[in-house]
Amino acid sequence: MAERKQPAPAAPDAVLRALADPHRRQILRLVQHAELPAGQIAASFALTQQAVSQHIGVLRQAGLLTERREGTRRLYALNHQALEPVRELLSEFWPDALSRLKKAVETAHPRPPKREP
Amino acid sequence: MTAEIRNDVIVATERIEAPPEVVFPYFTDPALIVRWIGERAELDPRPGGVFSLDMGQVTACGAYITVDPPYRVVFSWGVPGSDTLPPGGSTVEVVLTPDGDDTIVVLTHRGLRTADIGTHRAGWEHRLGLLRLAAG
Repeated sequence: MAERKQPAPAAPDAVLRALADPHRRQILRLVQHAELPAGQIAASFALTQQAVSQHIGVLRQAGLLTERREGTRRLYALNHQALEPVRELLSEFWPDALSRLKKAVETAHPRPPKREP
Repeated sequence: MTAEIRNDVIVATERIEAPPEVVFPYFTDPALIVRWIGERAELDPRPGGVFSLDMGQVTACGAYITVDPPYRVVFSWGVPGSDTLPPGGSTVEVVLTPDGDDTIVVLTHRGLRTADIGTHRAGWEHRLGLLRLAAG
């Protein structure tokens, strides 16, 4: 297979789980600007090649890595689009917080019920 | 409640059924702020005073820039030890506008570099720092 496999968009949860591990974030940093073969990625870690392969698998499943084969090598790169759900999730951070603020204030300072004239 | 994310700015809006005088201390009083965000807070609400919010996994840290009760408060926001989301790296402006007996809260978080996501290291690294805030 010569063509680049474009991963399907993943749910934000899968992306978040994939990002929750510092080794996996380090892998993304390595490949964010340059495509790298698996061996070169593994060489950057004090982990077994198998452990690194597992991390790569999680990142691919989350859609965060694209894979391309070149001869016997597999090359990986960051799929920037996969971070989009994270962006959307973050955009909920402050609105969620303000909803809690509204509830906190209105619970502590309830309005008296309005009376009909 | 609405939210808008545009370039490097998040704007969130909320209507609260209380006057600004009641709402404002929820941004400056440690005992009140933790009722809606964070678990523990150290706040010194005067320009240059510390703004520190322990949110479990991560602490948001910065300083008050403007304190104008009960209508406007601005503080910086970041994560200690983070190169990409340093304390003071972004700012949060809160404007409280009376509307009848209610308050319209408009919160604007600037300096998030969201447009840079994927194109600059700082963009998405910054994002991850924020993500830990959101998850924490």
